[in-house]
Amino acid sequence: MGYSVPLLNLSSTSPMAATLFPNPNPNSYSSSLLRFSPPSHPSSLPFSKFSSLFISRSKRRRSTIPVAASLSAVESHANSGTRGEKKLLLEVKDLTAVIAESKREILKGVNLTVYEGEVHAVMGKNGSGKSTFAKVLVGHPDYEVTGGSMVFKGENLLDMEPEDRSLSGLFMSFQSPVEIPGVSNIDFLNMAYNARRKKLGLPELGPIEFYAYIFPKLDLVNMKTDFLNRNVNEGFSGGERKRNEILQLAVLGADLSILDEIDSGLDVDALCDVAKAVNGLLTPKNSVLMITHYLRLLEFIKPSYIHVMEDGKIVKTGDITIAKILEKEGYKAISTA
Amino acid sequence: MAALAFTPSHIQRPKIPQFGTPRTPKSKPRCPIRSSLTLQPNFSDPFVLQLAETLEDSLPSSSSSSLPSLSLQKLRDTSSETLLSTPWPSRKDEPFRYIDTSFIKQSQIEPVRNPPKSLTISTDTQFPNLAIVDGFGVNSVSNSSELPNGVFVGSLLELSEEGTVKRVGEFLGNGPEGDLFWSINGIGAPDLTVVYVPPGCRVESPIHLSYFSIEGSEKGSDRMPISNPRVFVLVEKGGEIDIIEEFLGADGDKCYWANAVVDIVVGEGGKVRHSYIQKQSLNAAHIKWTSVRQESASSYELVEISTGGKLSRHNLYVKQLGPDTETELLTLHLSVSDQTQDLHSSLVLDHPRGYSRQLHKCIISHSQGQAIFDGNVKVNRYAQQTDAGQLTRSLLLSPRASVNVKPNLQIIADDVKCSHGAAISDLEEGQLFYFQARGIDLETARKALVLSFGAEVFQRIPYSSVQKKVENHIRGLLGPIQKETS
Repeated sequence: MGYSVPLLNLSSTSPMAATLFPNPNPNSYSSSLLRFSPPSHPSSLPFSKFSSLFISRSKRRRSTIPVAASLSAVESHANSGTRGEKKLLLEVKDLTAVIAESKREILKGVNLTVYEGEVHAVMGKNGSGKSTFAKVLVGHPDYEVTGGSMVFKGENLLDMEPEDRSLSGLFMSFQSPVEIPGVSNIDFLNMAYNARRKKLGLPELGPIEFYAYIFPKLDLVNMKTDFLNRNVNEGFSGGERKRNEILQLAVLGADLSILDEIDSGLDVDALCDVAKAVNGLLTPKNSVLMITHYLRLLEFIKPSYIHVMEDGKIVKTGDITIAKILEKEGYKAISTA
Repeated sequence: MAALAFTPSHIQRPKIPQFGTPRTPKSKPRCPIRSSLTLQPNFSDPFVLQLAETLEDSLPSSSSSSLPSLSLQKLRDTSSETLLSTPWPSRKDEPFRYIDTSFIKQSQIEPVRNPPKSLTISTDTQFPNLAIVDGFGVNSVSNSSELPNGVFVGSLLELSEEGTVKRVGEFLGNGPEGDLFWSINGIGAPDLTVVYVPPGCRVESPIHLSYFSIEGSEKGSDRMPISNPRVFVLVEKGGEIDIIEEFLGADGDKCYWANAVVDIVVGEGGKVRHSYIQKQSLNAAHIKWTSVRQESASSYELVEISTGGKLSRHNLYVKQLGPDTETELLTLHLSVSDQTQDLHSSLVLDHPRGYSRQLHKCIISHSQGQAIFDGNVKVNRYAQQTDAGQLTRSLLLSPRASVNVKPNLQIIADDVKCSHGAAISDLEEGQLFYFQARGIDLETARKALVLSFGAEVFQRIPYSSVQKKVENHIRGLLGPIQKETS
């Protein structure tokens, strides 16, 4: 197989990668990032570098924590339906939500089911509720859920604080991430990473250990080291902000990554970098929910399902052909279809 | 009026700031306050007079006529003159409109008469260090070997170089038009600590002045020991020095009043970087004057971190005396209990091409915490091509916490660049959510954001060891972050 050669290369040239990195997650869900399985999309060469990274680590993990992996919450909840062998990850039923301040209803009954290893894309006109849906999933305080249910890995998201949703493996990359002056990127990532380790009962990492852990990840998003010392998103260009979101995803890992317009404001090269990074993080265990306006991103990260949202509901679900129709004929074609 | 009739006509009448006509008689270089009390009971605030008397009585009677003690005497005399015409401030006085000083007035104020006899003070600084305990300079400077020739740090009374004593004398007593507390310090200061930098001399290591307040009463007692430390810094033409002032209380939250004055003169082309760290007890009153006179082309930079005191007031007065002068003032005030943090700053630009930057930040995290800022910048007629900027930002983290800010610019020159701004807010929801969305709990997120708010100021402290200490101190005040290793 094509990826076996880079594997040998990498593990011999950078043994640090295998030995220095602490294991962030001994339980199966949060660790899915680090587990190896053959890439679902036979990746072109640059990605195989990352896949091989995961191989070298997952080998070690498998030998050290053989049992913990099966103790996840999901296995017991996986009975609510399967697509073949896959386990259910997220189930949203009749979700309605309003803007907290004005009480205007934005989501009017969203239904969506995501199984592990699936890539979903949500498309739709401006104002159709795509971003709101993403924010509601992660518990943004600007919105209030008024009805329906959201169950992630068998747990009711409505009962969870935003930080607990994140710790349980839900990650949203922001469409426009805020600037946080005075907090450096590496401190922020260190804090977030330690929050995860704390949840897992692992000792927190000091700045030096963390640096060793994070340093190799910079390549993933094609960023320079000084990126870490800058304040979170302060003075970042559009492209840098998106890269930073993906860097956070790479550091923290996620079972379900919600990518809210990671393609907006990016030039072709940056889009390519970001898409590569996302593909590099994909495994058959974790899933992606992308929000996008453009076919272009979907050509980089191939979705299994495309949903079209209109007026707070998912009105159509299908495969890549929907995106192609949209690109050619606009949303009119879908509405009338 | 009888009082005026008694005034001998040959006496030079000192200028009294608050009133147009001088009313204070002065008969001898040493002006006994008691006699003036009997002479003109109507003009003075009896409470202030009594306080002045107590202070005067507490000082050791010096019969020495050496030059240094005469200089000190001159300071005391000018101070008594102004003090006699100054009543205790009330909230009707604009500079004291928001600050309640009755806490001091209602206490039984007792001057600390003697420096503590046996005292082991540990200062963990690697810099030349001078401890000033309850207003008295104790021991001599540690690590003083690092000081270049001609540099003097110590008591005025131990200053043997006659030329230097004379130089110091020229400036003593003609400082800014201070308020009552400036004068109280002038009368009550048992000693004057002098930092002297000769012309062209660059002092590499900073001078660390550690002020300790050891005398103090337990909370609830109405006794309030007062100490009046006074420091004079004279940097001659082309000289450079860094000063670190650190105010500390003794163990326990004792009640005392530290009434400190530092008077700084920066000669032409001179440079002073000043760090001022105030960590007094939470039951203490801390009133501080910083007066800075800057000759042409000199530069002065202040970084202040004030976290202590039940009542803390900093009067900061900077005057540019020549063109091409630079002033930078960065201040951070923290109110984490029922305390008041007050900064009254006044910056006077009188000459062309002056440059000034002022950043004042406050964090109030207690419902009875209060912060006050009155920042005045005067750009006078000849101060053309001035570039002056002022910004104040306050974080109110608790319901009912209060802040009063009054940034004010008075611009008379017509070719200047001036800016000012004021912002008062809680932490931003969007930023907090960003932390939460990455799995960081609200508490940790708040602390990180609050600390980063202060970092803009404390990261400007020029010495990383001091900076680290300040950062840890602030972290501690904001509540310990649980380091869990389960």
